[in-house]
Amino acid sequence: MAVIEAISTTYLEADAATVTFSSIPATYEHLQLRCSIRTSASNRASVTLVFNGDTGTNYTSHRILGAASSVSAGGWSGLAGLMGVEGTGGDSTAADYGVVVADILDYANTNKNTTCQFISGAKIATGADLFVHSGLWDATAAVHTITLDGSYNSLRGSEFTLYGLNSS
Amino acid sequence: MAAFTVIDHEELTGAAASWTSATIPSSYDHLYLTISARSSLGTSNWYDYVDVQFNGDTGTNYSSTGVYGQASAGSWRTSGADGLDRVLLINADGSTADTFGNASIWIPNYANTANFKQVVAGFVTEGATTTNGYWTMGIGAGLWSSTAAITSITIDPQNGDLMQYSSFTLYGVTGA
Repeated sequence: MAVIEAISTTYLEADAATVTFSSIPATYEHLQLRCSIRTSASNRASVTLVFNGDTGTNYTSHRILGAASSVSAGGWSGLAGLMGVEGTGGDSTAADYGVVVADILDYANTNKNTTCQFISGAKIATGADLFVHSGLWDATAAVHTITLDGSYNSLRGSEFTLYGLNSS
Repeated sequence: MAAFTVIDHEELTGAAASWTSATIPSSYDHLYLTISARSSLGTSNWYDYVDVQFNGDTGTNYSSTGVYGQASAGSWRTSGADGLDRVLLINADGSTADTFGNASIWIPNYANTANFKQVVAGFVTEGATTTNGYWTMGIGAGLWSSTAAITSITIDPQNGDLMQYSSFTLYGVTGA
């Protein structure tokens, strides 16, 4: 058995409002989500990440943003999904896609809330933005579904792969 | 041959002062450690510093630097420390219930006896709040000033014990 296994890959042949990974087995120790994403927004935009279809206000996100020569940080609580999946928008050239790596540790442990760390980067008109995001889903349920949703479509050519990491 | 191999995995069944992976073979190229952990440091404490130590060395042979985000972004560093204490933090028991710190550490060329050992880590200590200091996230880098091959790794919270359900997975990573 391989230590890292690809659970599923979605490559968009057409623009899509949502991307969903469902029936995620509980047999792995950790999950890793890798995305190459461009959105229909006019500028760089965050696509919302939702676990198990829970769209209640049970999410908290925090971030560090590096933009040009400035660095800032901040947070948001009572969200209906996590921030951290940053895609490019219409202010970058058509071939520019944002890159995202998200680590979701111990996702099936029902003694723990689900926490995530994201690293992402996306081209903008004046350069590029770099993000480090953290996220909390205030629920101890095992994660079995991940949905990427938001105010904007994910555009054709965007790609999403979910990996499972084994611990034995 | 598989690129990733599980060297060690443990989920604590009770509190422990620290966690150690004690018999790391030298046959891999790199190490990758994932940590989902919470410290017993309680009351109004939302996070705890962690010492990362190698080969049981508690001498002042460690330097570490981190970039972190709270209400604002900042950086911190220590040198001549007895562990890498600025590469990652974990949640403390004053933080949101059932929430464990999420961290990962890369240790490249850990068995190379010609070079000092460097690490890079990412971490989050989440909380259902936006209050400054009640959550922290960041990226850390560290240096162990030793050419010895790494044969053991210890994760030791500075102010509390590791709580039940804290878990650790150590992977060996092999090149082609």
